[in-house]
Amino acid sequence: MQMERDISHVPTGRGDEVEIHGLAPHLHMTRFPTQQIIGYLVSLLLTLFAFALVAYHWLPLNLLVIVVVCLAFVQGAIQLGIYMHLREGRGTLWHLPVLGLAGFVGLGIVGFSIWIMLFKSGVS
Amino acid sequence: MKAWAIHLMKLLFPPRVLLPDIIGIDIGLTIAALALLVYLTKTHRWGWLWREWLTTVDHKRIGIMYLIAALIMLFRGGVDALMIRTQLIGPHEHFMGIQQYDEVFTTHGTVMIFFMAMPLVIALFNVAVPLMIGARDVAFPRLNAISFWLFAVGAILLNVSFSIGGSPDAGWTSYAPYSELAFDPGVGENYFLLSLQVAGIGTIATAVNFLVTVLRLRAPGMSLSKMPVFAWSALITSSLILFAFPPLTVAMGLTMLDRLFHASFFTVSHQGMPMMYVNLFWIFGHPEVYILIMPAFGIFSEVVPTFSRKALFGYDAMVVSLLAISFLSYGVWVHHFFEMGAGPTVNVFFGLSTMLIAIPTGVKMFNWIFTMWGGRIRLTVPMLWQLSFIPTFVVGGATGVMLAVVPGDYQYHNTYFLIAHFHNVIVGGTVFGLLSGMYYWWSKMFGWQLNQRQGTWAFAFFFAGFWLTFMPQYFLGFMGMVRRMGTYPAGLGWTAFNFWSTIGSYLMAIGFLIMVYNIVWSRMHPNWDTTGDPWDGRTLEWSLPSPAPIYNFARIPVVHERDAWWEMKLQDRTDEVKISVDSVEPIHLPKNSPMPIILGLAFLVGSIGMVFSWFWLAILGALGIVADLAYGSFADQTEITLDPHYIIETESALGRLQS
Repeated sequence: MQMERDISHVPTGRGDEVEIHGLAPHLHMTRFPTQQIIGYLVSLLLTLFAFALVAYHWLPLNLLVIVVVCLAFVQGAIQLGIYMHLREGRGTLWHLPVLGLAGFVGLGIVGFSIWIMLFKSGVS
Repeated sequence: MKAWAIHLMKLLFPPRVLLPDIIGIDIGLTIAALALLVYLTKTHRWGWLWREWLTTVDHKRIGIMYLIAALIMLFRGGVDALMIRTQLIGPHEHFMGIQQYDEVFTTHGTVMIFFMAMPLVIALFNVAVPLMIGARDVAFPRLNAISFWLFAVGAILLNVSFSIGGSPDAGWTSYAPYSELAFDPGVGENYFLLSLQVAGIGTIATAVNFLVTVLRLRAPGMSLSKMPVFAWSALITSSLILFAFPPLTVAMGLTMLDRLFHASFFTVSHQGMPMMYVNLFWIFGHPEVYILIMPAFGIFSEVVPTFSRKALFGYDAMVVSLLAISFLSYGVWVHHFFEMGAGPTVNVFFGLSTMLIAIPTGVKMFNWIFTMWGGRIRLTVPMLWQLSFIPTFVVGGATGVMLAVVPGDYQYHNTYFLIAHFHNVIVGGTVFGLLSGMYYWWSKMFGWQLNQRQGTWAFAFFFAGFWLTFMPQYFLGFMGMVRRMGTYPAGLGWTAFNFWSTIGSYLMAIGFLIMVYNIVWSRMHPNWDTTGDPWDGRTLEWSLPSPAPIYNFARIPVVHERDAWWEMKLQDRTDEVKISVDSVEPIHLPKNSPMPIILGLAFLVGSIGMVFSWFWLAILGALGIVADLAYGSFADQTEITLDPHYIIETESALGRLQS
């Protein structure tokens, strides 16, 4: 965004002038996106594998759930690492608060849902 | 060949869309559409329409398009509401068949939440937020246009369903198993699923856009703690959308797999779990109501200081309570289904967390009142909506706390008590707030003001009608009238309450008609806003001419205080927003692009393919989406540069050159 660059010349008074430059897209890079394409293929394979596990009953139920959850975490790590630029910009440290919040809400939703859907755990 | 054509006709026009009233509407709409086409051709407006509106990426124009769409949807949802109330005016009424009644209340709810309230919220974000924080556009202008066109496609899908293929009829919540194929054959529910999915993508993109806009594009010196509260509400609403909409997407996606590909996520007979749909839906649904109310809170935090000539009381408390509400809103969703029987521990936890939300909301109420306290109050139309919001929302909030009491909720859950409660907060909170904001920022959008006297009458009818409609419904709920009843017998004591409730809804309709008259009349007798600051405002958007020039700020202001424009006026520094001839630099703006509207069309084609299970068409649409995204990625020239001479000319015509 041109506008962003315009503003970044002026002291913002927020003390984050350097960050704005760090965040600007580096469009001059013409390197072939090998990493992204590999990541894309691996994501597809992981999804297909998880689907096959469920569709063809390769594993007993308990083990199946554990394996699928593990695959989900690998998938998430790939998305964050390759596409969400986790390792770029201002360094991983800067992303931690936001990631922490996302993890908190995400795991909270999953955890609460399991708690809620254990029907009548308190009644029976 | 002939059998194929008959099959197609039966699919597109099943008996439920061949009611006389629907055919009448179809004919009327076709004639209106043809008349519009002829008018555009005769006046040679096609090029203008394409260049100025359909391909625009300007946040101000996108905001206006959202506003127009939202007002049309308010009309549609309002007509549905009138049909519902007319059906219920007396016992044994047969204004509609029961199937049509189901379709009408489903459409009413869906249209009002997703295609009236949401776009009106986003319209005001687009119109006001960039101007308030001193930005020249949103962070991702083309993505903003994509959001609009995806929303438009969603709205079109839901709105054509009643005349082609059949309307959805499982309620706006579309609980499984009502929405499953076994109990709801036909394409109606498919329309619902696809329209919410597509519009949802647009909404999530809007959230990303405004998060980045507010965090990155503020004027120099405007720290977060000097930001107008409406910008805060945009930030917090966006983060709520970002977390709340994915569960809805999942719920809709799983239902779609069940319906189109015979999966069994929510089918009990195949070990599916219908309550999981309810759980996922309300993980979205409860934050959603805060997504709707936060912007109204933000608007009131702008309107009250302006019309009381006082700074907002307790700015920090206002922001903290917004944050607290947004945080708590993730931990309350089970109060929508206490009756599932998850057990006392679960229910008590979620009942208490629900009650907790009343505390930060109460803080906000008191702060608005304390802002007015001792202020010089002007009873303009935006302020009237605000003043009426306070008692209305307090009643709605108090009945909400009643619903959070678990044993009580077992008594009046899903009765008209609930209906009255959520209309009390959504109409009395969100709609009052958004209409207040619409009147407040109208001149900033169009350059002319809405007539105050007519606006007051519209408000009076709407407000009186609102109380008359919904207060009797609390009593109906206590008397056992269940929501979504298509008809009811005499002798239960419900008749008089229902009668007055219906009369109230007619009064609201009159209020809406006066508002439309108000807009049309004010357009024909425009009261031009030549100063750009008709209300004696406090925030930066009022430092601009009305409407703002395409680049918004010729000179980005430097902010020193909260209420930056008010400070400039007090300290006689208003010349700071003017430019001097020798200091003008060229301004870079995003270039119009046909890519967003084409993406919308591709989504429309693909969605229609999914709705009717014509998968070749769905694949065609998907290929169109990929091709359009690729085209958008490789379009190399996405900016235009405004010549300094053009800027100087524009600004001097507006009298904004430093002498």
